[in-house]
Amino acid sequence: MTPSPTSSDNKSPLRVKKVIVLTTAMLTFIPFWKAAAIVLCDFGSSAFYAGGIAMRAFGPAFPWFILAVMLFAGVLLAVYIESCSLFVRGGVYKVVRDGLGDNSAKFAASAMAFDFLLTGPISAVTAGHYLSGLINSFLVQFGAGFLIPEKGFSVLFGLLVTAYFWRQNVKGIEESSGKSAKIIAFSLAVCFLLAIWAFITMALRGVQMPPMTLQFTPEALGWLKDLDWHKTIGALGMMIAFGHSVLALSGLETLSQVYREIEYPKPQNLKKAAILIFVFAMVFTGGLTFLSALIIPQDLIAGKYNENLLSGLAMSMAGPNFLKLIMQTLVVVAGVVMLSGAVNTALIGSNALLNRVAEDGILTDWFRKIHRKYGTTYHIINIVAFCQAVVIILSRGNVYLLGEAYAFGVIWCFVLETGSIIMLRFKRAAEKRDFMFPLNIKYENYYIPVGMMLVFLFLLGVALVNLFTKQISTVSGVCFTIFLFTVFKISERLNAKKANTMFEEGYRERMNTAAASDLQAVVQEIEKPNRVLVAVKDPDNLYHLEDVLSTVNVEDTEVIVLYAKPVENVLLRQDMRSNAADERELFTQVIFLAEKYGVPVVPVMVQSNDAFYAMVQVSAATDAKEIVMGVSGRHGSNAQMERVVMAFSALKDAELKHPVTARILWEGREVSYRFNR
Amino acid sequence: MEFHENMDSKTTGKFKISSLLSPERIFLVTDKPAKAEVIRRLTQAVCSGENNLEASDVLAQVLKREEGISTTLDTGLSIPHARLEELDSFKAALAVLPQGIEEPSGPHLEIKAMFLFLSPARQAFFQQHLQILSALAEVFKPDFIAELSMCKTVQEIAAKLADE
Repeated sequence: MTPSPTSSDNKSPLRVKKVIVLTTAMLTFIPFWKAAAIVLCDFGSSAFYAGGIAMRAFGPAFPWFILAVMLFAGVLLAVYIESCSLFVRGGVYKVVRDGLGDNSAKFAASAMAFDFLLTGPISAVTAGHYLSGLINSFLVQFGAGFLIPEKGFSVLFGLLVTAYFWRQNVKGIEESSGKSAKIIAFSLAVCFLLAIWAFITMALRGVQMPPMTLQFTPEALGWLKDLDWHKTIGALGMMIAFGHSVLALSGLETLSQVYREIEYPKPQNLKKAAILIFVFAMVFTGGLTFLSALIIPQDLIAGKYNENLLSGLAMSMAGPNFLKLIMQTLVVVAGVVMLSGAVNTALIGSNALLNRVAEDGILTDWFRKIHRKYGTTYHIINIVAFCQAVVIILSRGNVYLLGEAYAFGVIWCFVLETGSIIMLRFKRAAEKRDFMFPLNIKYENYYIPVGMMLVFLFLLGVALVNLFTKQISTVSGVCFTIFLFTVFKISERLNAKKANTMFEEGYRERMNTAAASDLQAVVQEIEKPNRVLVAVKDPDNLYHLEDVLSTVNVEDTEVIVLYAKPVENVLLRQDMRSNAADERELFTQVIFLAEKYGVPVVPVMVQSNDAFYAMVQVSAATDAKEIVMGVSGRHGSNAQMERVVMAFSALKDAELKHPVTARILWEGREVSYRFNR
Repeated sequence: MEFHENMDSKTTGKFKISSLLSPERIFLVTDKPAKAEVIRRLTQAVCSGENNLEASDVLAQVLKREEGISTTLDTGLSIPHARLEELDSFKAALAVLPQGIEEPSGPHLEIKAMFLFLSPARQAFFQQHLQILSALAEVFKPDFIAELSMCKTVQEIAAKLADE
């Protein structure tokens, strides 16, 4: 039997006084396929509009470019894998800040905010187009004699979807990753049916490959329309066309947000997720867009089905009309749920982004104001949702217009992210990377990222070409970016004093604390048969926790992370309250490490006047087989181990169920003691 | 008395505390001296007859250790100790304090038994050192300390320890 802490005399002054269980949403980890599903709900949704927008910009060659963009997505996924492996918390904004500095980070944040501001509306309005297209198909089928106005309906539907997710986000209700996986599975099934039917249709009707000829509209050439360069320099034309297709990459950046949630072993699972995303994007976005170009008559792609291309694919198949209507219904269901998911992701993403910016002290406290009831940063959510609603109304249901504006944020984010990763190769040369983008030249201590530099140059080229060709994008994107950049700058100045304090304090994980009646309440939360208790105190001394997280078998072992916060009436040589760590800072670091390794932990804080007693009490209550500590710089490992041995043995009042090992770990060394039965 | 047995942790339960103590190193302290004074008396007892140990040096080392993490348990047992370069065997002395004395670092703790314990400093002995600490903490529970406190003579205490 393990020592029975709760049954021991509570008269003793050396006992746990109060048990507090800490919870955070970030302590559950998901398998790679669920992570891929979350990314695909956003990234994959561009399949529903990217082809139509590209067709309108440069004609029937569009499927080749959408396919090329999807292939290029594979390259960008590799960039993201290297970015994620550096584990810079906070996504693109923080990566750019580390790599290129504060101003570039503000620019990246502005570009990303612009991206999110348009992702929501383009997704919501496109969903409206798919739905109104379906309703009209039924109205025609049943001879209703009237049609609903698609653009008006799309605006209304877009506003409703945005309002719904605005409310959900204010309430802090998060969509589960399981739901995303179901949406993707359903979409894949629809994609499979579409593909089978499309191949049958092609077998019956014959097939002609889409031409590679680029037929730019004057609108698509923007300020270059009066120049003939793009006709003489083929590569420039290709870049312009690629620039008009690049919005199909939207949502890929979700991977850097999801990375922290991926379970152990993180690097391998990230690679698996990236492969899954790439294959799905090729098949779903690339494949279905290509099939659409092969099957839908060109005039219908440019006209009736321009804003609901995949509905057009369903309705252009060979076969009876009712079957086509069923197929269209399935496409619309998949489209509406995926696109609505993207609306939600845009709200979540922009909220997270602006929170990161606010945490750096760049935005005033007003933005970070927490909702009294739901605990969410509702001011940020309100602003983003309001702006999205305005964009929806201003678009008047025109998906092409939204798509044109949209590309600015997408492409500049990729440019800055890639540039930052290149800079980090030099700034953080010594840091171990689980993955490096291919094509590197080793020079002294550096791996010169030749491959990534080529990607960067290509992205920069596309971004610069877009500046001249996509007038709407350039004007609206530049105006918005300058506006937000200025807001950041002014706000940062107004907030300067506070910002310095916050910078020193650093990021703090949002955690809920719940007082438990006793230690048994903690035990009830634990399901796995083996338990390791890791005692923590100093956020800068967590080597031992990292060692446990990197070696633990997550399948059968629960890692309980304990902080024994000192209270009054202490027994040690000083007032221990002065030694108390800021538990939010401590557990933020604990959670950061848990995320880094993808290992769930159970964070527990107890208040006690003797950390060693508290530790052995919790170890006994949780039936831990191991107690792991970091070394104390003040007392040394031997004195620490002596005290643990004394405390454990004094508490032990019967035979142990199993041996318990106490370990003190520090860089390259270990002191251990095994309590046998 | 010396303790040479090469223990591993499995033998901890068989370890007899009495094997570390001779009656001349057991004290029944009926008054209420300060903790440091009890440590001094026990140190002198351990060092007497040991040519290689200077009592004042040993006391200084024990008191220095006492400045670190507390060696007093809430069971009423205090285990002041030190690891000494001069030693190649374990040495100990026991004081039973029926009146109880105050633990200076914690006003709510009362010391009713003090086991002074000296170990060889070499790392090879550290596991045994821990095993002895473990055995002491396990044996000297409040009920056993209360029994020792009821004893009228050192011989009775020695007998109780031998029976444990």
